[in-house]
Amino acid sequence: MIENIETPEKQAMDADQPVSQPFHLPVELSLDQCIKCNICITACPVAAVTDLFPGPKYEAPQGGRFRMPGQPTPDHSVDYCSGCRACNLACPTGVKIAEMNARARHTLVEQGKVPARLRLRNNLIARTELLGGLAQPIAPLSNAVLANPLARKAAEVTLGIAAKAYFPPFARERFTAWFKKTSKARAQRAAHSNEADCPAASPQKQVAFFHGCATEYYEPRLGRAAIFVLEALGFEVIVPRQNCCGLPLLSNGEFDAARQAHQRNVKSLVEFARQGIPIVGTSTSCTLTLKEEAPELLDMHDEATRLVAENTYDFNEFLLLQPTFYELPCAPIPLTLPYHQPCQYRGHRLGNPAVGVLARIPALTILESHATCCGIAGTYGYKKEKYEIAQAVGEPLFEFIKSVGAPLAVCDSETCRWQITHGTGLPAVHPVELLAASLGSPTEGVLAKVLRLRHTRQEA
Amino acid sequence: MKIIDTEILVIGGGATGTGILRDLAMRGFRAVLVEKRDLTHGTTGRFHGLLHSGARYAVKDPAAARECIEENRILRRIMPHCIEDTGGFFVQTPWDDPAYAKRFLRGCHEAGIPVEELSAPQMLAREPLLNPNVTRCFHVPDAAADGFAAAHANVNAARQYGAQALPYHEVTRLLTDTGRVQGALCQDLVHDEPVAIHADLVINAAGAWVGKIGATAGVEIAIRPGKGTMIAVNHRIVNTVINRLKMPSDGDILVPAHTVAVMGTTDLQVPDPDQFAIEPWEIELMLAEGEKIIPGFRQMRFLRAWAGVRPLYQETKTGPSRDITRSFVLLDHEQRDGLAGLLTITSGKWTTYRKMAAVTVDKACEKLGTRRECRTHLERLPQPDSDRTPAPRRHHTLGERLAHVEHAQAYGDLICECELATRSDIEQAIANGQAHTLDDIRRDMRLGMGPCQGGFCTLRAAGLWHCLKEPSPEAQATNAALRDFLQERWKGVLPVLWGQQLRQERLNELIYLNVLNLDHLPGPTASPLRPENYLPPGHNPQPGEGQPTPASQPPPAAIRRLPPVDALVIGGGLAGLTAAWRLVCRGHKVRLVTKGWGATHWGAGCIDVLGYYPIESHQAIESPLLAMARLALEQPAHPYARLSMKQIGEALRAFQELCAGAGYPLHGSLERNWLLPTAAGAFRPTCLAPETMIAGDLTDKAPMLIVGFSGYHDFYPQLVAANLQEQGIPARAVLLDSAALAGLQRRRIDALTLARLFEQAPFRSAVAQALLSHLDQAERLGFPAVLGLRDPLRAMRGLESLLGRRIFEIPGLPPSVPGLRLHQILVEAIQKSGGQVIEGAEAIGSQPSQNGRQIEAVWTEAAARPLAHVARHYILASGGFLGGGLMTSATGEVGERVFGLDIQSPQNRLEWVQRQFLHPSGHPIFRAGAQTDAQFRTVYENVYALGGALAGDFVRERSLEGVALASGFYLGEALA
Repeated sequence: MIENIETPEKQAMDADQPVSQPFHLPVELSLDQCIKCNICITACPVAAVTDLFPGPKYEAPQGGRFRMPGQPTPDHSVDYCSGCRACNLACPTGVKIAEMNARARHTLVEQGKVPARLRLRNNLIARTELLGGLAQPIAPLSNAVLANPLARKAAEVTLGIAAKAYFPPFARERFTAWFKKTSKARAQRAAHSNEADCPAASPQKQVAFFHGCATEYYEPRLGRAAIFVLEALGFEVIVPRQNCCGLPLLSNGEFDAARQAHQRNVKSLVEFARQGIPIVGTSTSCTLTLKEEAPELLDMHDEATRLVAENTYDFNEFLLLQPTFYELPCAPIPLTLPYHQPCQYRGHRLGNPAVGVLARIPALTILESHATCCGIAGTYGYKKEKYEIAQAVGEPLFEFIKSVGAPLAVCDSETCRWQITHGTGLPAVHPVELLAASLGSPTEGVLAKVLRLRHTRQEA
Repeated sequence: MKIIDTEILVIGGGATGTGILRDLAMRGFRAVLVEKRDLTHGTTGRFHGLLHSGARYAVKDPAAARECIEENRILRRIMPHCIEDTGGFFVQTPWDDPAYAKRFLRGCHEAGIPVEELSAPQMLAREPLLNPNVTRCFHVPDAAADGFAAAHANVNAARQYGAQALPYHEVTRLLTDTGRVQGALCQDLVHDEPVAIHADLVINAAGAWVGKIGATAGVEIAIRPGKGTMIAVNHRIVNTVINRLKMPSDGDILVPAHTVAVMGTTDLQVPDPDQFAIEPWEIELMLAEGEKIIPGFRQMRFLRAWAGVRPLYQETKTGPSRDITRSFVLLDHEQRDGLAGLLTITSGKWTTYRKMAAVTVDKACEKLGTRRECRTHLERLPQPDSDRTPAPRRHHTLGERLAHVEHAQAYGDLICECELATRSDIEQAIANGQAHTLDDIRRDMRLGMGPCQGGFCTLRAAGLWHCLKEPSPEAQATNAALRDFLQERWKGVLPVLWGQQLRQERLNELIYLNVLNLDHLPGPTASPLRPENYLPPGHNPQPGEGQPTPASQPPPAAIRRLPPVDALVIGGGLAGLTAAWRLVCRGHKVRLVTKGWGATHWGAGCIDVLGYYPIESHQAIESPLLAMARLALEQPAHPYARLSMKQIGEALRAFQELCAGAGYPLHGSLERNWLLPTAAGAFRPTCLAPETMIAGDLTDKAPMLIVGFSGYHDFYPQLVAANLQEQGIPARAVLLDSAALAGLQRRRIDALTLARLFEQAPFRSAVAQALLSHLDQAERLGFPAVLGLRDPLRAMRGLESLLGRRIFEIPGLPPSVPGLRLHQILVEAIQKSGGQVIEGAEAIGSQPSQNGRQIEAVWTEAAARPLAHVARHYILASGGFLGGGLMTSATGEVGERVFGLDIQSPQNRLEWVQRQFLHPSGHPIFRAGAQTDAQFRTVYENVYALGGALAGDFVRERSLEGVALASGFYLGEALA
C-alpha cells in the first residue's frame, strides 16, 4: 500500500503566475544528448516482445543521424513504436526519443509509405469525434455492430482493425448533452451547499473542464463524477467548446489534421488561460497532449499555445494542489484495488498524483502495478498487425491485476481501461469515480454494482 | 631482403598518389605505390571532405576556380559513390562585405560555375538552422566527398589494371646511383622488415612529406606545411555545404560529411608535417565563426577535432621547372636538380587530384619516352564489393546506410551502431587482409566515428578481429590493437572534451576500466602501428578571444508544489536509491526524483569497494579492508575516510541482506576481493559479487569453458578465453549457433533477449544440449551475464543440474543485466515501504533561503511547467560527470546544476585530461566533485552530496559502488 502524499502545509501552495520551463531543447537537436548507453532499450516494452521494433535507441538518436528530407528512410519498423514514452523517462541524458519516433512516423505518412488501406484505417480510428459523432446517435445499432463478430471480422479483413480488439459501447447520451440539461439544477445545488456546508469554497472560482472524446461519447459517467468532485470543491465548472486533443492523429503521423485540431482547441481554450482559469482534464493523454505533445511535435511555440499548455492540469494533479481538497469529507470504501498508472500519465513527470488522491479515501487500499504500459497505446492495439504485440506488452499488467483478485481495476486513461478489461475480463474505473463515490455522489455502472454488492455483503 | 622490381614507384597513398597509380596502371605502366601507414593516413584522411565547385576561388584565383569546376564535373561522373550531391551555399552574414557579392558573381560567371540566388525564406526552408540574418545566399554545385572511399576506389581500379599498392611501407631513403634515382628502400612496418623497390622512375607524391623524401636523396624541396584544424558536430546540422560569401579565410566552411558536419579550417604554418598541435584558440575560432553561420553553434555537441597539413610549396630555384598552373606543383628533378628518375608532385586540392595525376603521368610518359593518353576521366571507378543493396547508382546519400540496414533488416547485426557498420562490413574489412589495425577498419567502414567514439564498437571489433584476422593474432596483439584504437579515438576528442562528449568519454572509461578492466590486460600498452598523438597544445599560441560565462539560469518561480516530504533524493543511481531505501525503512517520507536511470545499468552489477590503490598500481587489492585503512590515512577527504570501517561493513551487510531477501544473494566480504573475469578476459577485483558470478573466481584455476552466442555482439568467448589462457587459467571457448537454438532465431539478440530466454526452462535445456559435446575437461562454464532478469539463480541452478558443471556469469557492455537486478531490488524495496520514485524528473534548480544557509525548494522539469518540491533534507545523488550531476563547458567551467555548488577542478580545460586515454593516473577532471563536511553536508545546512557527486575518481579506484553504497547508507541512517 502506498500512502506517500500527506496533507500539505498550506503555505507551500503558492499559486503564482505560470512560468515557462527554463530551457527548451528542440526535438531533433536532443539526439546530440545520446551517449549510446542502452538504458532506453531496457525500458522499452515493445522491443521486449517483438523483433519488429529494433528499439528506441536504434530508431531515434541513431537512425536520426541518418535521416534527412527526401531520403528513403525511415522504414516501417519505426511504426512499431507505440509512443509509450518509457524510453524518455528512462533516458539519463534527455533524448526526446518518443517524439523523434512520432516525427519519423509522420515522415512515413508524408512519403506515402503507409498503404492507402491502412492509412484509411488509421484515420478512421484516430478520428474519435468523427466516429463518435456518427455512431453515438445510433448507439444501440452501433453497439450491436461493434459486438458482432462477423462485422468485426469484415473490418479486420477490409481495414485491418483487429477483430479481437475491444471497443467500448457508445453511451446513450453524450456528456455535454447531460451537462447542459442539468446545469440549472447543479447551479442551484451549488448555491445551496455554499451557504450551508462549505463556507470555505468561494463561488467565484471557475475551472474549465476538458472532457475529451471518451467521456463525451463512451463514458459520460466519468464526466459526471468529475463535475461532482469539482463542484464539491466549490468550483463553478465551465465546459468550453472543445474538440479531440489530436493525440490519436499525432500518434498516427497525421500531423496536419492534428495541427488543425490543436489550433481549434487553443483558440477556444486560450481565453480561459488568459483569465487564469485552469483547464482540467480527466484523460491523462488529452492533458499531456495539450501540455506538451502537440506543441512539441507540431512546433507550435506561439504565445496562445504556450498559455494553454501552462494552464492545463491533469485532474488529480489539480486536486492535490487545492487546499480544500484535503478538507473534503471522504467516506470509506473498504476495497483493495489494483491501480495502473498509464504511460501517458507518467509522461507528465509528476510522480503519481492519482495515488495521492486515492489515499484520501479511508479504507481504500491501492496496489500499484508499476507496469510500464498496458500495450494499447491509444490506437496502437486496435491495429491488426499490432494487436498481438499490444497484448504481449500488457501481459505483465494483466497478470498483476488478476493476482489482486479485486472486482475491478483503477486506471486513469480510457483506452488503458478498455485494454485492462479486454486483457483481464475485469471492469476498470477512473480514480475520480471512486473519489466521487466516496464524496457521496450517486454511483453508476460497474462501480455502483461493486459497491452495492459490498454493502449487501456487509449487511448480511 | 625482399626486392620488388617495377617500372614506376609512387610514394604516397593520398588522393594524388592513388590517383597517379590508377592513371599509370590505366596507361599500361607497371606501378607500385607505397604509403607509410594506411591509405589516406596523411592529409587526404584529414580534410573537410569538400568537392569544390570552384566558387570559393572565383575571386581570389580564377584559374583554380576553372580547374575545380571542370574536375568537379568529372569526379561526379566517374566516382558517384564517393560524392554526395549536397550543393553549396555562399551566404552573406552581417560580418561579410556586401561588395564581395558582385565580384563573386562575376568570377563564377567567368569560370563557368553555375550560380543561383536564393531568397532568405528559400534558404531557410532548405537549411532552417542557418543564421536568419543572412542577407544573400547563392547556390553553387559544391558537394561532399569521401576521401577514404575515393582513395580506395582509385587503388582498386589500379589493381584491376595490375598495379600494386603497399600500405605500411615507409620509405627509408631513395636509392640513387650516378645521378639517377633507381627506387626506394622501404620498411615494411607490419612485418618489420626492409623492402627494396627498384623502379625506372619514382614519383614523389607524398604531399607535405615530399621534402622529407627528397632530402633522402639530397634534393631540397621547401615545403611549408600549413596546418588546418577542423571540428565535427555530432550530427548533420546542415545538409548543404555552407561557405561564407567573402574572400577565403579561416573558419568559413561548414561541410555535411556523412553523419557529421565539419567546420573548418585554420591555416597555420608548422615546421614539421609530423609535429603539430591542435590549439585551443583554433577550436575557439571554429566556435566563434560557426556561431556566425549557425546561431547556437557553440552549444552543440562536438565529436572530435583533427588537423591535417596542406603542402605549401616555396620555390627555392629558378628555371622552367614549375608547371604552368598555379594550383599545384610538379617538379622534374632532372631539370631542376640534375637528378634523373624522380618527379615530385605536391600542393593542390583534393578536388583537382585527378588532373594533378594526369599532368604528372604525362610528364612520366615524356620522361620514359612514350606517349600514352590519359583516360582516367572516361572510366568509372569500381565500387567496393559489398552486400549492401541496392547498389548506389547515383551519388551516395546520407540515408544510404540506414536504408541498407532497414532493407536487409540488419538491425541486430550492427557492430558500430553510431555509424551503422554491420558485422559483415567489419568482417570484410578484416578478411580482405588490408586492415592491419582497427583504425584501418575505421577508414574503410567508419567504425567508431560516431557519437560514442568507439565506446561500444571497439570491444566488438577487437572480438571479431581476434577470431578472423589471418594469421590468427596472439591475445596480447589483440589487446594492443584494442588499446591503440581507444587511444586513436581519444587523441581526436581531446581538443573538444567538454559537455556531453566528456560525459560520453566517462562512460567509455567506465566500460573499459570498470567493466572490462582493459588497463590490466596482459600485453603492451600500444603496438608499433599505434597512431601518433598530436603535440600537446601550446606550440602555436595565439590569444583566443574570451567568452563570457553563460550565466546559470535563475530558478523559475514556483507555481505548484507537491506536498512536502522528509527527504528529496535527487538521482536514481546506487547512492540515491540506497539513501532513499534506508530512509523509507525508518519510516520517513521520501521522494526520489531522477532524470532517468544511471550507473547501475552500466556497471558490472557487483559492488566494487576498492580495486586498485594507489590507482596507478598494477596489482589488484586483495583485501579492501587493509587498503581502505591506508587510503583513509592518506586521503582524509575521501568518502571512505569519513566513515568508519564498521559503518562501511554495515552498509555492505545490510545491502547483502536486502539482496538475499530478494532471492539474489551477493557474496564476499571486505577482507578479500574476488578476482572475476571480464568480457575482455581480464581479472577484475570486486568485493561483493552475485552468486551467479562467483564460480568464475580466478584464484581458482579449474578449467573453464567460455560460452558465447552467434549474433550476440557484446561477447566474444574466444577473446575472453585467449586472455584467460594468457594469464594462466585453462580456458576454451565455444560459440553456440543461435540459429540452431530453439527460441533464439531472432533478428536481434541483445543482453535482454537472452536474459528473458534464460528464464525459460526449454531454452536452458536447448543450450545445455548444445553444450554437452563441448564440455570436455571444463569444470565450470562462463556465460555472458544474461542468465535472467527476475530469477537468475533458478536459471543458473537449472543449467548446473543439466550440465553437471558450475556456471558463472561474465558482465560485459551495457546494458548490464546484473546491474538491472540490483536496481530493481532497490526500487521495489523503496516502493514497498511507501517511498515515491519519479522518473523523467530532472532537477533543474533550487531556491535558497534568504540567509543563504538552507534550500527551500527544488524544481524538476515536467510537462508544461516545472514542479517544485519541498523537503526537510535534500540529498544530491545525481552522480558526477557521467551521471549528469556535474556539467562542463567549452570555456572550462565546471558546475553543479541543482544547487550551484562550488566544484573544485583544474582551472584550465587543457589540464582536465591526460593525453593518454588509459593513463594510469586517471584524468584530473574526473576527481572533481562536491565538497562536503564529514557528514556529507554541503555549504547548505540541509543539502547533502553522495556517491559520484563527491570528489574523487571512483571509476579508477574501482570503488564506484562501494562509495555510493557506503555514503548512501550512512546518510540514510544518519538522517533517519
